Amino acid sequence: MTSTSLSTTETVDSQGEWEPKIMAFCCNWCSYAGADLAGTSRIQYPTNARILRVNCTGRISPEFILAALNMGADGVLVSGCHPGDCHYTSGNLKARARWALMETAIEQAGVDPRRVRLQWASASEAQVFADGVRTLTEQVRKLGPIRREWV
Amino acid sequence: MADPVSIAMGQGSSCWGCFQSLVDIHLNLAQVLPALEIKYWQAVADFKLHHLESYEDKSIVVGLYEGMARTEEDIHLLKLLRDKCQVLIAFGSCSCFGGIPGLANFSDIEECYDVKFRENATVTGGKVPSENLPGIAPVVKPNNSFVDIDIYLPGCPPTSKLILTAVTKLLAGEPIELPPHTVCHYCEREKKETPVEKILRPYQGIADPDRCLLEQGYICMGSSTWGLCEGQCVNKGATCRGCFGPPPPILQDHGANSMAMLGTYAPLPSEQIKEQVKDPLGTFYRFDYATSNLGQIRIKREEVKTR
Amino acid sequence: MTEEKTIRIDPVTRLEGHGSLTLKLGKDGKVKDVQFNVNSTRFFEKFLEGRPMEEAPRIAPRICGICPIPHHLASVKAVEAAWGVSPTPTAVKLRRLMIEAKQFSSHVIHFYALAAPDFVYGPFANPADRNVAAVLRDLPDVAVQAIKMMEFGQELIKTVGAKAVHPTTAIPGGMLTSLKEEDRDFFLGRLEEIQQLTLNTVDLAKKVVTDYLDVITKVAVVPTYYLGLSNKGTLDIYDGTVRVQEPGGEIVADFEPKDYTKYYGEYVSDHSYATHIYYKPAGYPEGIWRANTLARCNVNERMATPLADAALKEMRELVGRPSHHTFAYHYARIVEMVQAFEWIAKLLNDPDICDTDVKVVDVEPKAGNGVGIVEAPRGTLMHNYVSDEKGMLTKANLVVATNNNIAGIEKSLMVAAKQIFEDKALEGLKLPEPMVKK
Ligand code: SF4
Ligand code: SF4
Ligand code: SF4
Ligand code: FES
Repeated sequence: MTSTSLSTTETVDSQGEWEPKIMAFCCNWCSYAGADLAGTSRIQYPTNARILRVNCTGRISPEFILAALNMGADGVLVSGCHPGDCHYTSGNLKARARWALMETAIEQAGVDPRRVRLQWASASEAQVFADGVRTLTEQVRKLGPIRREWV
Repeated sequence: MADPVSIAMGQGSSCWGCFQSLVDIHLNLAQVLPALEIKYWQAVADFKLHHLESYEDKSIVVGLYEGMARTEEDIHLLKLLRDKCQVLIAFGSCSCFGGIPGLANFSDIEECYDVKFRENATVTGGKVPSENLPGIAPVVKPNNSFVDIDIYLPGCPPTSKLILTAVTKLLAGEPIELPPHTVCHYCEREKKETPVEKILRPYQGIADPDRCLLEQGYICMGSSTWGLCEGQCVNKGATCRGCFGPPPPILQDHGANSMAMLGTYAPLPSEQIKEQVKDPLGTFYRFDYATSNLGQIRIKREEVKTR
Repeated sequence: MTEEKTIRIDPVTRLEGHGSLTLKLGKDGKVKDVQFNVNSTRFFEKFLEGRPMEEAPRIAPRICGICPIPHHLASVKAVEAAWGVSPTPTAVKLRRLMIEAKQFSSHVIHFYALAAPDFVYGPFANPADRNVAAVLRDLPDVAVQAIKMMEFGQELIKTVGAKAVHPTTAIPGGMLTSLKEEDRDFFLGRLEEIQQLTLNTVDLAKKVVTDYLDVITKVAVVPTYYLGLSNKGTLDIYDGTVRVQEPGGEIVADFEPKDYTKYYGEYVSDHSYATHIYYKPAGYPEGIWRANTLARCNVNERMATPLADAALKEMRELVGRPSHHTFAYHYARIVEMVQAFEWIAKLLNDPDICDTDVKVVDVEPKAGNGVGIVEAPRGTLMHNYVSDEKGMLTKANLVVATNNNIAGIEKSLMVAAKQIFEDKALEGLKLPEPMVKK
């Protein structure tokens, strides 16, 4: 994985306020299409998310998510097809189980699990996708930058 | 006989198990030891630190460093070996990834001091010792954050066979090429591609000796772990806990990818898997927390604190 | 001498752990202070917390790569004590086979690789010579004998424990694997040769003891308390009660492992990361005790096996009971090595050793507090764990073998340093010619 879009310095807006950096992994078949639709339908959502398209949430190892946090993302969103709707039958069921393990591990490691979010959004659910980004961004904004979580 | 190859063996905070495993090449010692000129090996030869410090830089061909480096003395020795040796080998999983002692990073060092020196069943009110002792860093950092490592030889400990192979190649001046397979490759148990319905704890029931332990519900990290051990635990009924770290690339996130592995075999609903797998951090990151992404975040947290 | 002087020995060599020595001499040339500095600690007690308790036997062995088997077993015994689980009889035999095999190979490596170079080359030889690699060069027959004995022990551990270093097969309720008949037969076939080598070692040791009798009986003779496991007066390394002997020789305590907190005191010294363990009723430093080979021989009346018992009697004729002779630890080590061999032979010949009934099925985790004590080569090893109702480990206290000896080592060093620097005792000592002269 490269970190081209995630510089390790903290982002600030024009007023000098800190802005959370969110990394979003979207499944190609639903959520990425949903994100696209959100764009074309001009549904407003925070610009903090950098979206990366993967073929299926089943392709995502917790390594991707944790590497993003390690490289400077303040929060990570994973968005895939609803259980039962996965293009590859059960990719998202595996993703869900991995997620549960990872959430516990993150918490054990002292990182606030509210920095990560797993959601299901189909191709037509542009609003669900956009709301997810907003919810996570606001949650992370309250938590502050990951680097200062423990200070 | 060719001239002996000079070698220095250093020991950081470790258990000596890697060196014990080296000694366990048994009669091969009769070939290997005479081929080595031991320049430093504190458990075996009487050279002191000042001897090592007095050698010219890069004057020793091979250096082996066992253990992680948490005390000032460990770090000094690690850097010293790097300076004096042409090839530096991270010997064993502590040296490659922080190893089991890296689990101390789960806690703050003050909490560690509490149970060790201040308050437990046999101690009350002790003070942290400091006279004539090297300081202890607040976290375990991986050895490769202090120096460049040339060769990683993982395992807790690396098997005697692996050590013999590596040493023989080194003495012959040949590259060490190791098979990339995971532990499952060497496991005699049969896999049937059945998803796991319930995760069991290792003492529960009696496992079928011929079937994959993981598919029977016992957490086994064989499929996410480098099989250089040739499956010694799993072929004796014990689940793999991943002591050889990840298959190449050697610094991938073994813990994270082991969670991916378990999620694949056991696609259970969240509540169930949370209830059944009680300690993911202590299980999947057992030997390599310090080099994992989560472990790196933990180390950065300490740096932010001290800045 | 007019100036104060500090002597540092860094590191203390031919020791597996991390230690250095600080010795302070006063203006008058008198020894003012001797410190044995143990330079590292890794906080196992802390990170065992939060783990499922059955994982402790897979984590704790990493405390020591020389004695991972005693750690594995003390740990599993502590879990079983906390949960009220009893392993099957065959499992106990296999565990004993493993721990005796460890005792055997550890004593061999200690005698030949760590101690013997001093006797072979004499204590004042060049460091490049005074080590096991040099023994291999100069006395290949002796070295090969040592290697074969170590191999026997280590390979036996691997067969039973899956790994020779950091075994993995003991589990609450028993063992995860039984011993295959073909494996048993392989080791049975090796017994005769190993017995011969063991007896050769006894002869070699006796020669060393006679040669160095002056050193043994005069240098570092230090009365202390002694600690060791005892099976009704018989030396046992896997099971029993814990005995404490006072310097005069009387057994002052003989207790169940679970009661250890009444007897164990832990003193945090200001100059060592390893704490000093002592006999609590006597206080510190009066109650300083030593563990390890000689201590076990002191606290027990007899050995468990015939050849070892005969060897113990011979030893006692020379050094008595209790023996306070620090150098007699080497002798006691050989006595124990013989017992370990005889135990191995007995177990391998046991008709039930290959039974497959090695684990009970109904292990249930519960809230509990358990203590597991075994003997490691370097001394009595204690693991104490507390678990919650789900069987998660909430608290651990470990007293590892070596910590029982740190204060005793310091005491012996003080006595030896006074002898060397103040009484110049070395000059009058009778030392034999080194076996190999350089
Ligand atoms: S890798 Fe394992 S055997 Fe080697 S020093 Fe570390 S804990 Fe000991
Ligand atoms: S997961 Fe474990 S038990 Fe299953 S095949 Fe792999 S190594 Fe063997
Ligand atoms: S099977 Fe797993 S735990 Fe056992 S030695 Fe191999 S890598 Fe280590
Ligand atoms: S294809 Fe969308 S989650 Fe699998």
